[in-house]
Amino acid sequence: MNRISSSFSAEFDETNQEIVLSGKMRPQSPREMTGVIDVIQRSLDGSGRIIYLNVKRLTHLNMTAFNALADLLKIACRADPLRTIKVVTSSVIPWSAPLFETLASKEPNLSVDIYDSAFYPGQTFVEDESFIPILRTQTKMTWRHERDILPRHGLRDGLAVADICCGIGDFATLIRREFNPTRLVALDHSKKSLDYARRVAAEFGLNSIEYTYGDASQMLLADGQFDFVTCRHSLQIFDRPDVLLRELYRICKPGGRVYITNEKNSHCLGEPHAESIRWTYEQVAKLFSHFDMDVEMGPKSRRLLNDAGFDDIKVESFMVTNLDGDPRDFADIIEAWENVYAGQMAVRRGDPPEFIRRFRQGFKDHVLAALHPKGYAGWPIWAASGRKPY
Amino acid sequence: MIMTGQPALFRQTAFQGMAALVLDVGFFTSQFRLCDKIAEYLGDLVAQSHDDPARYANFSASLINEVIELAFRSVHSGDRVEFNLLKGDDSVYLRVGFRCSEEQLALLRTVDRSRGSTPFPEPARDLMALAHAVGVDVHTEIDRDDHITLTLEFVLSEGPR
Ligand SMILES: C[S@@+](CC[C@H](N)C(=O)[O-])C[C@H]1O[C@@H](n2cnc3c(N)ncnc32)[C@H](O)[C@@H]1O
Repeated sequence: MNRISSSFSAEFDETNQEIVLSGKMRPQSPREMTGVIDVIQRSLDGSGRIIYLNVKRLTHLNMTAFNALADLLKIACRADPLRTIKVVTSSVIPWSAPLFETLASKEPNLSVDIYDSAFYPGQTFVEDESFIPILRTQTKMTWRHERDILPRHGLRDGLAVADICCGIGDFATLIRREFNPTRLVALDHSKKSLDYARRVAAEFGLNSIEYTYGDASQMLLADGQFDFVTCRHSLQIFDRPDVLLRELYRICKPGGRVYITNEKNSHCLGEPHAESIRWTYEQVAKLFSHFDMDVEMGPKSRRLLNDAGFDDIKVESFMVTNLDGDPRDFADIIEAWENVYAGQMAVRRGDPPEFIRRFRQGFKDHVLAALHPKGYAGWPIWAASGRKPY
Repeated sequence: MIMTGQPALFRQTAFQGMAALVLDVGFFTSQFRLCDKIAEYLGDLVAQSHDDPARYANFSASLINEVIELAFRSVHSGDRVEFNLLKGDDSVYLRVGFRCSEEQLALLRTVDRSRGSTPFPEPARDLMALAHAVGVDVHTEIDRDDHITLTLEFVLSEGPR
């Protein structure tokens, strides 16, 4: 259930002048810290005026380890008062900032920075409140397909399920109702989304979903806990999907499955005005890639799951269209995409007005295709899963 | 943050017992990693009724781990360490009781005198420093000549969300 107490490491990233500590650091004696202390010591010796000690991924730390780190940092601070040591942590790990702050209060050249923004490339866009209604309608539309797809990937009643990067929690609520899991944990890094999720769950009288604020790339959840782990539309917004998959793998039980969904945006389509629509969605893919996000990831799912160590990999794709339920819902999603992609992201990239005008036109044509009595509009999604070997 | 002499607070009838565990340390002292396991397990139980159980479990386990390390360091083989989880209206209390030597008790007694001040005296220094940093109350009761009970109060409506 737990990682062994010596599963920790220290690495120095010279380019960023950053020492990164990670894992579970609960040694019995400071001697077990020798390797880590050596790395830190050498990094400090060779560093410039500012050095960062990143502890965002240090999920456990006992006081034996903290004291060893503190002694080292104190000596370093006093040896060179002109050097600044910045401890970088995140509010996800509840004890971390308060504990390191006790050190900062004694050493003027040591500070603690809580680093919750710029966590992943698209954070400012994705955590924007205007994204919430998009996620709602998206899930409503994809659920029509996924409720049938999920059982083919192994979801059934009575499993322990985790939805990682759960957003506003709609999917978790649907899972709760449809598949009656024995345990359901839903994790996200947006406090706003989680507050919303908790409110919605309370309104529906669902009190058994464990919403948790966390970082999907270093979760506080223990190893091998879940039969079915889902991560929807989110691997594609990370610049390091492999890191995330490693964590999904870790919390999954041997024999359990990890289920991911991703898009291939350039394959969004519509009639009429197919050309204009195609051009715009090709630009969407390029725009995301400018911000280090890969919304073309869908068909890469098989390779990603394979490289992460899964077996029995299943991949299928489905198309959300204007013929699934109310076409207005689909049109709303497209308009929301236009607002965020053309209205915010392209502007941030510094695109000229002429480009933005043409970019917006493709979305407008897509809306038209969705609402036109003879029109057809589609959004393709890849659903894939793999089994964690025994 | 540190108090003694309030046994009335813990007249156990006022609280509901959630879980109890007694370890005969003679069998376990060499197994340091048990501290970690027990801490994670009890942390999980403490956090069950919190809004964000996963995160609160990590939070409470970090303190519980220090208490258990302290207990394991203090006791002699053949001694027992008793763990009790009690539920009050807004808090969960973890009580850890163990027998320790006279010198250790003498030192632990000084914990009381150092109320609110740092540095805290050994052997509870680490536990107290962490508890102080993260704002958790620790009560110590020297309840028999050679026996101490440490109580951690986890206020469920507070702490990480
Ligand atoms: C595109 S949304 C998908 C949300 C949801 N799965 C859905 O399909 O509606 C991506 C989500 O990932 C979350 N996220 C981004 N980085 C994260 C991280 N490091 N840890 C946890 N969640 C993260 C965002 O807050 C956002 O809710």
